[in-house]
Amino acid sequence: MTSPETRRRELPWWLIAAILLAIAFGLVIGSDVSYRIIFGAVASGIWVTVFVTVIAYVFACAIGLGIASAGLSKHRVLRETATFYVEIIRGVPVLVLLFYMAFVAAPVMVAAWNIITEPLQAVGILGPASIRNFDLLWRAVVALVISYSAFLSEIFRAGLQSVDRGQIEAAKALGLSRFKVFRLVILPQAFRTVLPPLGNDFVAMIKDSSLVSVLGVQDVTQLGKVYSSGTFLFFETYSVVAYVYLLMTVSLSLAVRGLERRLQRHRDFIGDRR
Amino acid sequence: MQVLANAAAAAAILLSALVSQAGAADLPDLKGRTIIAVTENAYVPLNFADPKTGNGVGWEYDAVNEIGKRLNAKIEWKLTSWDAMIQAVRDGQFDVGMDGITINDERKQQVDFSDPYMVSEQYMLVRGDENRFTDGPTFAAFKDGLVGAQAGTTNFYVAVYSVLDGDEKNSRIKLFETFGASVQALKAGDVDTVLMDKTSADGYIGAQPGAFKIVGGPLGHEDFGFILKKGSDLTVPINAAIASMKADGTLDALNKKWLYDYKSQN
Repeated sequence: MTSPETRRRELPWWLIAAILLAIAFGLVIGSDVSYRIIFGAVASGIWVTVFVTVIAYVFACAIGLGIASAGLSKHRVLRETATFYVEIIRGVPVLVLLFYMAFVAAPVMVAAWNIITEPLQAVGILGPASIRNFDLLWRAVVALVISYSAFLSEIFRAGLQSVDRGQIEAAKALGLSRFKVFRLVILPQAFRTVLPPLGNDFVAMIKDSSLVSVLGVQDVTQLGKVYSSGTFLFFETYSVVAYVYLLMTVSLSLAVRGLERRLQRHRDFIGDRR
Repeated sequence: MQVLANAAAAAAILLSALVSQAGAADLPDLKGRTIIAVTENAYVPLNFADPKTGNGVGWEYDAVNEIGKRLNAKIEWKLTSWDAMIQAVRDGQFDVGMDGITINDERKQQVDFSDPYMVSEQYMLVRGDENRFTDGPTFAAFKDGLVGAQAGTTNFYVAVYSVLDGDEKNSRIKLFETFGASVQALKAGDVDTVLMDKTSADGYIGAQPGAFKIVGGPLGHEDFGFILKKGSDLTVPINAAIASMKADGTLDALNKKWLYDYKSQN
């Protein structure tokens, strides 16, 4: 087994290879007119992909943490509800969730909103909401949040459960409140455990965010589809699309590794003192 | 009078049989060669899975099978998705591909197109209670009006060039992955119209009475062609077969069978 220490000392050949490949492909895109056009056609979708992914991930983390806490709660109803949510949502394809959110749940939500705010509409404070106020991009984000919150909650559950019972008891013995035990003792330790799988799911989400293109969200994938359908340059376009996603995912992986390493050092430091 | 009419009809049938005989005799003979044809089964009534049997049927199946017969070739059918189909035809994995594909110059740089075999006329499908516009021009003038389409498809190009201002990035076009998704968006109120050919529109109207209707007349039209690998030796024989089928009324008979007589089951 490679210990963290030896991994740190190793020359990261994989990274050098990846960077060289990125440069090589970048040169091809830069020097070839048709590739340059394709890159230009899909590049404006990068910020949409990043926006959708980051927003959806932050909310999915928050909800996932809430569900994980509910799943570990003393109250049976909370536990059962959390498990029900995770098992059902985790089993439904993201694509199906996207369609249901966009065309079944969203119209119902808008209608419900109109019923709730009817008194306000009657006196003219609020106008009636139309389905168009609920942008398709946001419907896509909500669907991604729902889907990923189920996966992330399982990661958080594992992380929370990994914290030694003795530490919690010790913290309680010191007189910390339940919330402080959670915030100061459980969460920091759980965070270190869950960071690698969290990073993994973020990378997965960048890729899964390509599914929002089915709702017409103008992300990298959608722009690639538009371009390739019009020109029939499918292979060329998807190569560029893959390149753009790789740039995003590999740089993100590096950031997560860097964070892991810093936390590792922090732990080693504490270990030295002990 | 009746006798005369019957005689005329008989003569006409005889004549057309003779013409098609003569036409067939002029056609290239592929000597039993196998042509691998590919489609998607996602475009009623051109190519789709028969709800009863699950087998692929439709206008394009009939047309290409007939082309095979006339050229003395065996047609072997394959299925794939739109993206994969075009790439695979470009690579020569399949000999001929079809999916109601609009012929355009940009695409001609990547594949060979057969001669047009069908002209597609697009109509505006709207919600049943639509009264803010009544045809293409009034829709174009209705600034809040949104149109749903799929990227790079016939209805997309007609929306851009025949209804709106010719700008492919016009924000009044909302792009969806599938035809079904754009119709769902129309129903939900996300868009105000979806362009489609008459047969598809009738299918949706029949399936959900009152939910949809057609407004205005036919909009700009697009030519459909079969796609082949660039420089394919099948382009010339297939064009000859299409010409003979145009001349003897076979294509018209297929139009009648699939565009008018066939009732969509969805």
